[in-house]
Amino acid sequence: MMSFRARGIVVRLMSVALICMGFAQTSSAGMIGTGYLIDSEARDASLARVEVLLARQDIERQLLAFGVDAEFVAERLRGMSNAELLALEGRLDTQLAGGDALAVIGTVFLVLLILELVGVTDIFKSI
Amino acid sequence: MFLTRNPYTKGRLLPALLLLLSGCASIPDAVRELNADAGRIELEDAPFFPQQRYQCGPAALTTVLTMSGAGVSLPAIVDKVYLPEKTGSLQVELMAATRTSGRLPYVIDGTLSAVWNELAAGRAVVVLQNLGVAAIPRWHYAVVVGIDPQQGKVILRSGTDKRRVTATQTFLRTWRRGDYWAIVVLRPGEMPANVDQRRYFEAITALEQAGQLDEAAVAWQTALRLWPGSPAALFGLGNVRFALGRFAEAEEIYRRLLARDDRLLVARNNLALALAQQQEFDAALAEISIALAQNSDAALLGELEDTRETIKKMQVDTN
Repeated sequence: MMSFRARGIVVRLMSVALICMGFAQTSSAGMIGTGYLIDSEARDASLARVEVLLARQDIERQLLAFGVDAEFVAERLRGMSNAELLALEGRLDTQLAGGDALAVIGTVFLVLLILELVGVTDIFKSI
Repeated sequence: MFLTRNPYTKGRLLPALLLLLSGCASIPDAVRELNADAGRIELEDAPFFPQQRYQCGPAALTTVLTMSGAGVSLPAIVDKVYLPEKTGSLQVELMAATRTSGRLPYVIDGTLSAVWNELAAGRAVVVLQNLGVAAIPRWHYAVVVGIDPQQGKVILRSGTDKRRVTATQTFLRTWRRGDYWAIVVLRPGEMPANVDQRRYFEAITALEQAGQLDEAAVAWQTALRLWPGSPAALFGLGNVRFALGRFAEAEEIYRRLLARDDRLLVARNNLALALAQQQEFDAALAEISIALAQNSDAALLGELEDTRETIKKMQVDTN
């Protein structure tokens, strides 16, 4: 995780890099996005664009680290909204993943069995 | 080791442990209650994709995407949402994969009646359950395809169970531990049964950001039928048309917005760019000058100045 100050510097550097890379020439340069009228507070749109780009790079690294095949990463990132990218940045490891994984032993198993019998859980039936 | 039995704690340990593990929060009436006239409903034709190990997320999503007519396959959805090292799928990735399949994911209210209303509209609902307990979670995605209020049952496509019938009370407990998370997938022209304007607009904006521009355009037009003249929906439609390269149509939308509110600077900014794209550089610069003269928002100033520079550069490059 970057400190706020370090992040600010990176954002500035990236802004310069983006301009050098000629992003400003695309037809969407300068366009103000729809989110501007939906989010309650106005944001610095150009700063937000760079932050989204950084978040995207961070999540790309994490998806690869969690075993996603490189050929699918771009498509998976494409579907995420800016808000989702910013929310997920740096937090992918702590996200819950629905997948039925369960590893319990001994007493815990017994307690779960009782919970199941009294209808608190629904853990053991074939899923 | 020598242990003495304390008669005081004996007999209290198990109930205390049960309480600790199950949590003591009860399920609010607003979550559990259905309308008095809500009858039994079951989408019997809902398809079933039995899950492979740990792949309940892809299976559940493929079920609802198939129902909405998106031509998807389970293996392709696995590649879009399964995280091998986490042996599961993230909620956000289910949303993202819905978008890249050309559908609009919409988070419905976490109430049984909201689920019933979606079923009544013919849409099955993907839910996140914790089949275990908070301390020992077993996160699971399933698809609600039916509710039987009289029998107190919820009917699911779940895991390898084609028709899993669960007591409503048990379902609600497992769903509560999943924070009552539930989504439907909408065709671009479809509205959720209970629509929250802001949430719906954010959902369309996300579709736009995912590059599903044709779908987003249809969704904004659908929104405009329910909320005619909504500035956010008009702005969205204008921006999608711009992104599709339909600059004259985008211009027309921005002008409609400005006719209603001539101080909507973001619309004037984008109008200027739409004009520039049509080589009308003098008109574009005139519009951005008006916007700059009207602006008092520091956050917007940089954007407007950038736009002016962009237009000037486009003009130079053209000549």
